[in-house]
Amino acid sequence: MGKSLMIVDDSATMRKIIMRTVRMSGLEFDRTEEAGSGVEALEKLQGGPVDVILCDINMPEMNGTEMVKKARELPNCNGTKIVMVSTESAQDLIDQVMSDGADGYITKPFTPEKFQEKLTPLLN
Amino acid sequence: MVTTVSLKEVLLGGAREVFETMVFMALEESGPEDVDLSNLTLLGSITFKGDMEGCLGVCCDEACARTIAANMLGMDGDEVSEEDVSDAIGEIANMVMGAVKSRIQDEVGTIEVSIPSVVQGRELKKTHGEGTEMVKAKMNIEEEYSAEFSLLFRLRRE
Repeated sequence: MGKSLMIVDDSATMRKIIMRTVRMSGLEFDRTEEAGSGVEALEKLQGGPVDVILCDINMPEMNGTEMVKKARELPNCNGTKIVMVSTESAQDLIDQVMSDGADGYITKPFTPEKFQEKLTPLLN
Repeated sequence: MVTTVSLKEVLLGGAREVFETMVFMALEESGPEDVDLSNLTLLGSITFKGDMEGCLGVCCDEACARTIAANMLGMDGDEVSEEDVSDAIGEIANMVMGAVKSRIQDEVGTIEVSIPSVVQGRELKKTHGEGTEMVKAKMNIEEEYSAEFSLLFRLRRE
C-alpha cells in the first residue's frame, strides 16, 4: 500500500517548496495533502491518519510543538512519523520537540538529500 | 566578541548558504553603493529579541524577487503569483536569520526570532535609531540582479 504525506506550514509558498524538494529527493508518496496551521492539520488527521507529517514550528494559532503533542493524543496517529522543518537550530529546542513526540528534525535551508536521509529510515 | 566586521561575515555566510541551497543561484558581494530603490522594491524583514535585538532585512527589486521565487518553486517567472513572490522574500529573510542565529547564538546568548513580514513600494527609505548598529552587504545575484542584506542590531546591556 502506498504512503501518504501531509505538509503543515502557514506559508502556502513554503508548502510548495517543501513538496518540490520531496519530489526532487526521489521519495514517492501516493497521497499528499497540506494544512495551513496546526489546527487544520489536527482536523484533517481526525478524518484519517497519514504516514508522514512534515511540520513547521513557528506558526500562528497553534505552533508545531503543540501540534505534535496533540497529534500524539489522537488514537489513529500512533504510527504517524512526524518530522519538524524549521529555521530554528538550537539543540535544546530540537531535544524538546523530539521528547514531545517528533520523530525527526530538518533545519532550513534544506536539500533534497537531507529529506532523503531523514525520511527514508522512517518509511521503511 | 561580536563585532560589525564579524557580523557582516556571518550575514554573508548565511545569505550564501540559503541561496546556494534553496534558490540555486550564486551570490557575490559587490560594491558599497546602495541598491536602487526607485523601482518597485520588496523588503522582507524579520525582527529578533533577547541578548541581541534588532531586525534582518532583504531588499531587492520586483524582477529580482520574482526570479528568486521562480527558482525556489521550480517555475517560470511568469507563472509565479504575487503572493509567491512576497512569501519567497519573507522566507529568504526567515532562513537567512536562522542561518545567522545558528552562527552566533553560542557567543551572543538567547535570540528569539519573530515571523517575517514583507512590504513593497517605490522610493523606500530606511532609517535606524540611535543606539543601534547596522551591517549591510550588497550582493550580485548571478551577475544579473542586486539585493541588499542588512542586519540592524543592539546588544542587551548588563
